Amino acid sequence: MASRKKILLKVIILGDSSVGKTSLMNQYVSRKFTNQYKATIGADFLTKEVTVDDRTVTLQIWDTAGQERFQSLGVAFYRGADCCVLVFDVTAPNTFKSLDSWRDEFLIQASPRDPENFPFVLLGNKVDLEPRAISAKRAQQWCQSKNNIPYFETSAKEGLNVEQAFLAIAKNALAQQNSTIDLYNEFPDQIKLTNTQKPSGSGDSCAC
Amino acid sequence: MDNTLPTEFDIIIIGTGLVESIISAAASRIGKRVLHVDTNDYYGGTWASFNLKSLQEQGTKPNEKQFENERCLQIGNDVFSIQDFSEKWHIIEHNEKENVTQTPEDNEKQLVETFEDKVTIQDESKEAKPNVNETKENSFSRDSLLNNSRKFNIDLVPKLHFARGEFVQLLISSNIARYAEYRSVSRVLTWVNNTLEVVPCSRSDVFANNRVSVIEKRMLMKLLTSLDEDDDNYKDNQDKTFLEFLKEKKLTPNLIHFVLYAIARSTDTTSCSEGIASTKRFLNSLGRFGKTPFLFSMYGSGETTQAFCRLSAVFGGIFALDRAQVGLMIEDDKVTKVFCQGQEICAEHFVLGAEKIPKLYTEHLKVNSYISRAVFITESSVMPSEQEHLTLFMYPAENGKPIVTVLELGSLTGTCPKNLFLVHLTAKQTTTPQEDFKHIIDNLFQFNDQSTEDIRKPKILWSCYFSLPETNSSDLKGTNHPPNLFVADGPDLDLDYDLTIKKAKDIFKQIYPGDEFLPRAPDPEEIIFGGEENEKENVEVTDTLQKDTTSLNDNN
Repeated sequence: MASRKKILLKVIILGDSSVGKTSLMNQYVSRKFTNQYKATIGADFLTKEVTVDDRTVTLQIWDTAGQERFQSLGVAFYRGADCCVLVFDVTAPNTFKSLDSWRDEFLIQASPRDPENFPFVLLGNKVDLEPRAISAKRAQQWCQSKNNIPYFETSAKEGLNVEQAFLAIAKNALAQQNSTIDLYNEFPDQIKLTNTQKPSGSGDSCAC
Repeated sequence: MDNTLPTEFDIIIIGTGLVESIISAAASRIGKRVLHVDTNDYYGGTWASFNLKSLQEQGTKPNEKQFENERCLQIGNDVFSIQDFSEKWHIIEHNEKENVTQTPEDNEKQLVETFEDKVTIQDESKEAKPNVNETKENSFSRDSLLNNSRKFNIDLVPKLHFARGEFVQLLISSNIARYAEYRSVSRVLTWVNNTLEVVPCSRSDVFANNRVSVIEKRMLMKLLTSLDEDDDNYKDNQDKTFLEFLKEKKLTPNLIHFVLYAIARSTDTTSCSEGIASTKRFLNSLGRFGKTPFLFSMYGSGETTQAFCRLSAVFGGIFALDRAQVGLMIEDDKVTKVFCQGQEICAEHFVLGAEKIPKLYTEHLKVNSYISRAVFITESSVMPSEQEHLTLFMYPAENGKPIVTVLELGSLTGTCPKNLFLVHLTAKQTTTPQEDFKHIIDNLFQFNDQSTEDIRKPKILWSCYFSLPETNSSDLKGTNHPPNLFVADGPDLDLDYDLTIKKAKDIFKQIYPGDEFLPRAPDPEEIIFGGEENEKENVEVTDTLQKDTTSLNDNN
């Protein structure tokens, strides 16, 4: 039974510094790219609505805010993720080698209920650049060895495959949510503090 | 990966306690170049939350290693860190005897199942599933708890937030609220005439409470309304204690107890003005979220420092945890640089968490008071009920014992596994944590491994005690410390963070007198793009999202 409740999916993007995490986010959400590299400043999280199997879902995509640079991402960043996007740079072999540790780190910190089937998606970014160091085949082999993670080759610069990759991310995240949350809502009634908080009726504001 | 830090900053902050993290966010927010380092590999310092295993390791952790470098003053001291840590198991190591007929593998599966819902755990290839309920009683073992270690988030300094308090207002006004989620405390309890009673906080509580008569209800309402509206109460009653004031109002002993001990968190000697101020603080926060005035941070209070650090990072602050060798380099009585794992990094201002003060300066500093802390893992609530409660329990001061704040957290707070509770006890230390809390254990709990059994009392499966220095203004006056070095205090006994925010703001104002303290951070879309069509679209999306979560709140 489809619930009419609005669906919000938290997606986090992990990978070494300068593989293009922020650029991918920006390209996807705003179709913009800048060649100027700045270690991430100002990137927080972006939201975008997508339609997956006739359901409208809101993707909330969280950037590392640069805290990965000196291995200082706190556990709070990983809380409640519905999908984890791993990114490497196809021209930089070290960024590919780090994938295992990023995946392990995610599984430890986020400690998802079902680690075997938690949805990851792998993006090999910067395919517009030469020379290429990691072949598609090698990346796919890695994905197969990790319980068939979907793999996309992307270029944040040219917008290549970015839309498709995030659609797959949304699908997998949604499938993950369907299989857990509907059956067992782990933390219901959480309170998000916002400015738009309605003033409550006078009913309970008095102590008696 | 390149591990070299940039070498020039405006401000370097060492330690990720809450005061340091707030200063970090505030400085970064006004465009200062911030380097924020910690010798620990986790956020929070003495304000951190730990999973079960890492908390246990706190007891055995060696002090920070000395390193050889005569050009710098190594940071870190033992005075302001966690003291007298001890922990003890009250359950068996493995749980084999109850399941003798089963294979070890089945056994393990079953133990995990007591925590998890069956959906993710059940193995479809197995036809016969063990019945969880039959063996639930006392089926916990050390192994089963340690296997779920990461489901625990155990605060060193558990805090609650007044729904209309300064902390919540700051989170909202600075837009840091988007990094954290909260749950409302669902009931407030007190200990009166040797029984646990629910303190009536809201209209519905009063109706449900058959201990409070109709007349008492009217009296209570009249008193609380007059406190809320009438400032003359202060002037007329300056010399009285709050207790005397309440007695004059001709309240019944029952009501005096609720107001004095539970609502105002006072003692018999608390002054009238202080008592009225505390009562007002409580009343002002009623009716915003949930049934009580209080919120608790999902996954524990340690998340809060990380929320401020994230804001700092979003505005360009650079974070480097787990730096083993950190020292201050001093020239002409000023700190000029920080030595950090072989690098020399300069800045104008330096902020240190109290536990990071170099030993040279702490020799003259004395800790005047300590906070007694205890943490228990229990297998039932002090007041069991059908739905899981998040309980604040004020235990009044008695027989020379301090007021004790008890917080009981269930799995819905994200701080412990299902079917278990985490109980935090906090008090101003009079003797030792063990002594300060002994009467509460005697009255309300039992150790699982003790010989006599009382079915009404929750069993303690694991217990842990420690002390924290109450570093109320541990400033370095009289220590000849460099003027561009600022010390951020550690934890205090306030229920909320009001004092903490004030301290952080004070330091920020000393360093940047003309600048605004944590103005509202723009929404992400506002930072990255400007004047695009997309922007409008995105803002609308977040707006509707917020509406959605708001309506959810109203159901509480």
